[in-house]
Amino acid sequence: MKTNIFIVWSETLKNIKFLAAYPVIFVFWTIFPLFWFIPFVLQGQALVGNIGPSDLWKGLTGNTEVVPFIIVGAILNGYVLNALYGVGESIREEAYQGTLDYVLASPCNKAYVLIGKALSGSISSTIYAIIQFIVCVFLFGVTITAWVIMPVILVIILLILGLYGIALMLAAVSLQLKQAHEVAHTLDYIFYVFAPVRYPIQFLPFWAQVIGQILPLTYALIATRGLMFNSESPSQIYLSIFLLLIIDVAAILVGFYLFNWMEKRTKKSGSISHY
Amino acid sequence: MVHNQDNTEYSIETINLTKVFRKKKHRGIFGFLKKEKEKKDKSSDGKKDLTVALDHVNCKIRSGELFGLLGPNGAGKTTFVKCISTILIPDEGTAIVNGFDVRKETSLVRASIGLAIGGERSLYWKLTARDNLTYFASLYKMPRNIIKERVEELLSKMNLLERADERVEDYSTGMRQKIVVARALLHNPPVLLLDEPTLGLDPTFSRQIRSQIRELCDKEGKTILLATHYMKEADEMCDRVAIINNGKIVAVDTSDKLKAMVKETELVEVSCYNPPSDTEHYLKSLYPDIEIVTLIPGNEAEGTPSRIKLMGENAEKRTSKVLEALLKKDAKITNVNIGTPTLEDVFIKLTGAKLTEGGAG
Repeated sequence: MKTNIFIVWSETLKNIKFLAAYPVIFVFWTIFPLFWFIPFVLQGQALVGNIGPSDLWKGLTGNTEVVPFIIVGAILNGYVLNALYGVGESIREEAYQGTLDYVLASPCNKAYVLIGKALSGSISSTIYAIIQFIVCVFLFGVTITAWVIMPVILVIILLILGLYGIALMLAAVSLQLKQAHEVAHTLDYIFYVFAPVRYPIQFLPFWAQVIGQILPLTYALIATRGLMFNSESPSQIYLSIFLLLIIDVAAILVGFYLFNWMEKRTKKSGSISHY
Repeated sequence: MVHNQDNTEYSIETINLTKVFRKKKHRGIFGFLKKEKEKKDKSSDGKKDLTVALDHVNCKIRSGELFGLLGPNGAGKTTFVKCISTILIPDEGTAIVNGFDVRKETSLVRASIGLAIGGERSLYWKLTARDNLTYFASLYKMPRNIIKERVEELLSKMNLLERADERVEDYSTGMRQKIVVARALLHNPPVLLLDEPTLGLDPTFSRQIRSQIRELCDKEGKTILLATHYMKEADEMCDRVAIINNGKIVAVDTSDKLKAMVKETELVEVSCYNPPSDTEHYLKSLYPDIEIVTLIPGNEAEGTPSRIKLMGENAEKRTSKVLEALLKKDAKITNVNIGTPTLEDVFIKLTGAKLTEGGAG
């Protein structure tokens, strides 16, 4: 167990060192989040007339605050983006530069390597999320009640676990297709449209709501907003967390199965070496 | 470890090892329509789409032996190494490495081998040498305190300790290759699989790497499979050499015994500048009793003459006539060598091809 934890740690450290090798990325990600959610805030303002407490917004979303509603969507969606583009892209890069053969030919369980990759992605997502939140505190006077911090962190961890499963599936696709960017891009839009990032899920047509209800981000957003704005009943929050947990288990199991199956398949076909 | 009837220990044994790749067809934007058409066309031969990279290879490598796998690019050397190292799954047959089956006991095989393939690109260039080695050591489940000691030891052995904390991108090709070899040694495996370890290196680094490889075999008793297309490397370093071409091993023996396959009277090598463009066809048409005529192009700009190899019972007898014929075509002859065979000559005799020629997978 100790050695497996060390594998996860080594992989995480390696990826963080890569990031540190390109300091401009940190600068980019400090400024980028502002540009990401300010249009959403302006859109909300255009819709309800102001960015302060709004009864119209309460009628639409269940709470009066426009900016916090959007910020929660933006921050949690950041984790989705990192999971979708991070692990799959990392596998592609390893294969392209010739290090993937060494990782696959080592005796360790590759699951720990993938967890390390995903973990480093989550750490960087969290850094960006903190920056986004601090900016919101200063620019828009956003506040958070102390007692909800821990439950919100728990929900985010559950979201991350579900996203790990999806990242594993994308890593499997990367092994076979070599280029998973387009698949990640499509999934990115599926999350963006069908999960309640910018609007409540009730605004979607029934068939779209069904799709939204299999996405971990949907339940993470409902639970987080419910905790932060008291916009949901406790039973609704517990139900969302429970459903999120079920999606996590299913996504991780399917993700590991798919990755192992695809690894075997590409080793058999020889396409694993054809980068 | 596999024991034979004569009680010889073998660290690697392949049994009918076969690997076939399906060729990818690039059909263009409307390729899916062509695919449907091909499916309907029953007359198309499916075998044409396949490349046999390894064809029922049977080979035994003794424990503690430095074993060379010599062949041109595309002969199947890398595929052989990748099948043995579990990176590829064979289509037929199997290999036993250090007593473990590559199909059934992959983790044990992986723990038994040290791998050096893919050259300098296979490192993380943005990390330091120390970081690279520490990371890969963790994948071999080595305890942290041992990793630190081992990395230090290997960096010192490779004379890289002073620059261990510099990024690999700032290293020379030779230094990077040393790190690749050091990585293969991290977990102190009994078997080393080295694929073209001196590719692209200058003579000084090549010599250093070769002497380190030889030492690993002589002093530490490692079993080493060295896949190379450098004839001299195989000839000078290896205890035994297997010649591989088109996925088949065509001969295995010591370098001297292999060279003895070409009789001295059956080999003539003419070095010249400006040989006729169709030398092989020209000489064969004039003297059909010479079994093999092969032109190995030189590089005239760099002062390296082309070499024409004549092989067969009548090669020596026909030398003067061949020289006359070449002079008639304005070739400038610089040297004529009769009867000192090299592994390249053995390869030509056995396959009819040159070591510089390409083939499959």
